[in-house]
Parts: sequence; structure tokens; C-alpha cells
Amino acid sequence: MLKVGIVGCGKIADGHASAIQTIPGCEIVGVCDREPLMARQLHERFPIGGCFASVPELLDKAKPEVVHITTPPEGHYDIAKLCLEQGRHVYVEKPFTVYAWQAQELIELAERQKVKLTVGHNYQFTHAARRMRELIRNGYLGGSPVHMESYYCYNLTDPSYARALLGDKNHWLRRLPGKLLQNIISHGIARIAEFLTSEEPYVLAYGFVSPLFKKINEEEIVDELRVIISEQERVTAYFTFSTRMKPAIHEFRVYGPQNSLILDDDHDILIRLRGRNFKSYAEKFIPPISFAKQHIQNLGTNLKLFLKRDFHFDSGMRYLIESFYRSVRAEIPVPIPYPQILLTARIMDMIFDQLASRQPQCNIAFQTSSKSSEGLETC
Amino acid sequence: MSEPNDQFIVSPDVPILVTGSAGFIGSRVVQSLLGRGFRNLVCFTRPTSKLVRLETVLRNGPPDAHVQVLEGNLLSRQDCEHASRNVGLIYHLAAGTGEKSFPDAYMNSVVTTRNLLDASLKGSCLRRFVLVSSFSVYSNCENPSGSLLTETAPVEEHPYLRGEAYCFGKIGQEEMVSEYGKKFGIPYVVVRPGSVYGEEKSAIPGRVGIDTFGFFLHLGGSNTIPFTHVENCAEAIVLAGLVNGVDGEFFNVVDDDLPSSRKFLHDYKRNVKRFKSLYVPHAASYALCYLWEKYSEWSKGQLPPAFNRKRWYTYWKKTYYTNEKLKKKLGWVPKISTADGLQRFFHNAARGEEHA
Repeated sequence: MLKVGIVGCGKIADGHASAIQTIPGCEIVGVCDREPLMARQLHERFPIGGCFASVPELLDKAKPEVVHITTPPEGHYDIAKLCLEQGRHVYVEKPFTVYAWQAQELIELAERQKVKLTVGHNYQFTHAARRMRELIRNGYLGGSPVHMESYYCYNLTDPSYARALLGDKNHWLRRLPGKLLQNIISHGIARIAEFLTSEEPYVLAYGFVSPLFKKINEEEIVDELRVIISEQERVTAYFTFSTRMKPAIHEFRVYGPQNSLILDDDHDILIRLRGRNFKSYAEKFIPPISFAKQHIQNLGTNLKLFLKRDFHFDSGMRYLIESFYRSVRAEIPVPIPYPQILLTARIMDMIFDQLASRQPQCNIAFQTSSKSSEGLETC
Repeated sequence: MSEPNDQFIVSPDVPILVTGSAGFIGSRVVQSLLGRGFRNLVCFTRPTSKLVRLETVLRNGPPDAHVQVLEGNLLSRQDCEHASRNVGLIYHLAAGTGEKSFPDAYMNSVVTTRNLLDASLKGSCLRRFVLVSSFSVYSNCENPSGSLLTETAPVEEHPYLRGEAYCFGKIGQEEMVSEYGKKFGIPYVVVRPGSVYGEEKSAIPGRVGIDTFGFFLHLGGSNTIPFTHVENCAEAIVLAGLVNGVDGEFFNVVDDDLPSSRKFLHDYKRNVKRFKSLYVPHAASYALCYLWEKYSEWSKGQLPPAFNRKRWYTYWKKTYYTNEKLKKKLGWVPKISTADGLQRFFHNAARGEEHA
């Protein structure tokens, strides 16, 4: 039985506990939170061995082999470091770390300690995402991707989230270098990073505070972001984050030299775009039939998965956790290769550095990503 | 304007804290306190609260009243200490209301309540802590169908199994207050309002039915709906804080002459807007909740347990309600009759529909 611990008992910890309890051969031996009441409420609702007030106590008494870190991102690096140093495998919720140098250090430490590490980029493991990966692996694109488009929008009309963030000037999210963006965009950036090979791609970021936020005197939180990423003029990508676009889509488009693919995360749909054209008016009539057929096939797949009880809202998370546990037990590769984790962190660093250096408001303090200058700088 | 009563545990100049004071009920509590001659109020609000209701109340209040509107977050112990300094009475109405997530509901209801109780321990002048809870805490599972729900009815033992984060938070709050009462001797009273309605709300209560699936399912049938008009409810809450000799008591708040779900829906359709509804008999709604619950278990949460038997017992089982204890121990009398209150409610809801 694989012993699992959870550090941080907020909203996302519920998703982890729910997923873990459905995975055979593992048990949650303990949870901990700085706020003992929060640890208690999780312990009350799930079959959990014990609840603790500190990470050392959890590691010492419950002795988990794998630790899930579901705290706010500021704590990820220190907690993961502590767990890795004690020889525990670690699953860190997204964003992996606040800065890329922290990601680098954790990966090196995990390799030295011969333990495994992963990050909660669970959307990369939804059913449709896995089908997409399989098609690409089998050469559907006809070569390496030429261009990618990743949309990761956010619906800020969710009153609980908006109230918590906008109403609290001390909210932890405001202390992150990328603020709201940092907590959300890693899912969309990781999609692109999966198909890049260089360690330092060219990144051009443009972000701004939406009129909606300005209207409520929120000048600090950038909630509109457009990014161009380019790898040695071989592969390019666009990333879009928006709180204004409706519907708030979550989509990934990957264009190859022969064919392309559209992954729609909101509806768990994968659409193939064939590179071959039909002649004359046939181009206007046959492809729509093919698209209709594909949508019906997607519907069939989703229904089949639902009837097989394998279509949970967090199926990506469950799959990722299960794959990570398999890699822990059976010395097989981790589900998300370390260079991908690192590249995602580096691209995010570059985005936030650029936003900080171009921010027109001079009274706002930004943090820079270099390890040597950890303090606050003003533009 | 009413004069302060000699039987009250605090005098008019004692500072009184009202959390959630900008809310639907909270603003009426402030209004009622000012109306009773209490002049020294601390109104605690969230930074994101819409202050329109509270500002209206304060604008129309007595000019000599000393009302401090304090913006803060009850998750901050410092804010709690600041708010509760030297207060003789606390009306705690702030809670996580709309959260669907259990941790969020718990944090915004239970952790905040603990912080406020801890802060109140630092002073020595607190005479009573009034917690505004909810009818949703009752399990109503053991009560035979058609019986009377009183304050002695058992509360939900495993609230998380009802799949309702709000109830989980509310029960946690009550437990926290009881625990502090026992451990530290904090005098407290718990008020459990039924379905609070008023002119500013136009939604049909879930006890009547739901429109989750795109059309209205009428689930209440002949059940009585435990309505209480917001002004009557605020009056009960205020009295629960003031009246002598009720420490440790729990009070249900419902009005007189409660309508059945069927009557309410009929009047709503006639006065507000016409729409189609499908009546689901109690046996059928119970069966649906049972099947949903079992499917949720079998599929390991593929469908969340939003409908289940525990929820059915609480909201759709035939039950009657009483306000006898409220009248007897607090001397509460509803200021607004149900007929008048509902007429005003329908009138405003219809106006809202026209504007929409």
C-alpha cells in the first residue's frame, strides 16, 4: 500500500483526496495545514489516517512515501525541498514554483535523492488530450509541429473567486510575481512546452489590465495576456489568456506540415483538420460532413466513457496521479518529463519579467525572477 | 421609535458588533437595533460588500447614533480583534453563503467564527454572542413525515454526506460556538431562520422546487414552506441578543400562517410570471434522490451527490414548523404578516421581471 500525505487543505486538496481514494493500492495516511481547522475538515470528510499542524510532524509521524503539495504557490518550493530532502516523492500543484530557478533546484534535488517529482498539469491528461498525444506520436501531423495556439481563458464572474481575490488586498495571489496569471496560465503554457525542444525559446509578452478591472479600481492585476513564443524560427506558438472572452475557452490547436488538430478542453473534444483539400465546391460540402461525423464520434466516445464510469470532471487529475504513482512503484518514467516542467517555468518567468519591465504604473512593485535579486523592484 | 427595554441585557450605549451588516438580513438587524434606541454600533463588512442597503439604513437612522462601518476580513485575527474590542454584544451573521466548495464554506464560516470568538475572549465585556445559523442544519431524517420540527430536532450528524457545503459550514459554526461556550463560558444564543424572503429577493426557494434541468420541477407539493420575512427575522435576531435569560438557547424563526408550496407557486405564477412546472410527487422525488445518490456512489462521484436522501429529508419531506418558543421566550411578534409580506414580495419580483 502506497502511503500518501497531503500538505494544504484548501479547495484543490478536495480534488486530490477524491482522486486518491479511487486509486487502488494507496491510502492517505495524513494531511496537514497551517490552519488546524482546515486539516480537521478534510480529515472529517475523507478516509484519512491523521491530521497534523506541520509538515515535519506529518513526515515524521504518518511517514508518507508520496507527498501532495496543495498549498498556495509561495510555499511550494520550501515544502517540496523539505520533502525531497527526506526522500519522499512529491506531487506539486500548479504552478510548480514561483520562479524557474526554484524548479531547477527541486528537479536536481529529486534526481540526487533518487525520488520522483511531478506537477499538477492535469489538463494534459484528459481523455481528449491523451487521444491527441497518441495521434501526434503516431505521426498524424506529418512531422514536428509548425505552429501552436493555446487559449486558456478564465471566467472571473465566479463570485466566490472574484470576491476572495478582488476583495482581499492581502490575498496570497497578489504576492506572486505574475499575480492572477501565475496561478492560472501554467496549464496553457505547459501545452506549448510539451512540443518545444529548446531550453530558451524567444518569448514576447503583452499584458494589460482589462477595462472591467479598471472600472472597479483594480489597477494591479493584469488579466489580459497575449504571448508569442518562437523556437529558432522553426516552431512558433501563440498563447492567449483573457477574462473577457466569452465563452472562456480552453483550447489547444497544433498545426503540422500535413495535418492539424484542435483540442477543446471544455467539451473534451478532439477534431482532426486534414491538410488535403477537395476540388472545387466539394471543399465546401465534404469537410462539413466530416466535421459533423467527428463531432458525433466525440459524443459517442464521451458517452461511452460516461457509461463506463470513467468520465469524471477531474479525470485528468486522477490519471496523472495514477501515472505518477506507477512511476514511483515501478521505476518507469514520470508522466511529465522534467525538461517540460522546467521549460514551462522558464517561459512563465520570461512573461512576468517582460510584464514587469513594461508596466506603465510606476507605483507598483514587481518581483524579478533572478535568484540574486529576490527583493522588490519598482519600475 | 421604540424605547430601550429594562429587561434587556445591555443598555443603549453599549457597543454592539454586527458582522455581515451589509447583507440582506444584516442591514435589517442594524435598522432594528437603531430603531430600538441602540446608538453605538460597529458594522463589519467585507471590502467587496455592496453597501447600498446599509447606507440607506444609516441615512434614515437617528442622527445622534454613533455607527462605525468597519471594512475587514474575519479571516484576519487582527481585523477580528479590532472589530470586537470593547463590544458588549456580537451579532454574527457573516458566513460563506454561495460557496459550492466545502473547504471554502468551512473557511468562510467556521474559521472566521473561531477567529471572532478568540478575539472576543480578549475583552471582558462581552455579554452575549448571537450566531445566525440556518434551518438547513436539521437532519429531519428521524422525524415522521408530517410532524412538527422544533428546536430539539437533531442536527445533521454527517453534513458532508448531504453534498451541501453551506450546511457543512453552518453546522461547523454551531459546533464552534457551543465549544467556546462550554470551554470559555462565552454566553451565546443560536438563531436558525427558515426561508428568509423579502422585497429584494425574487428567487423561488429550493424547498418549492428547482429549475436545474431547464424546466421547473415542483417538489414541495402540499408542504408548508418555512418562510420568514426579512424584517421579522431581523427582529427575532435582535431580540435573541437582548432578552435576558436565554443564554444557550436555540430559536427557529418562521412566520405565522405559512403557505403551502403549491399555494406559493400558484400565487407566484399569477403575480410574477407564467411558466410551466412539473409536479413531482413526494414518493417520486424521494426515489429520484435515492437513485441519484446510489449512482453517485457507484460511479465514484462521476455525478456529484447533489441530490440525495439527506437533502430530501431536509427540504422536501412533509414537515410543519412552529415559532412558539420564539414568541414565548423572546416576546417576538411578527411585524409583517405573511399575506402582506408575500404580496410585497410578488409585487417587487414582478417589477424586476418587467425590468428584465
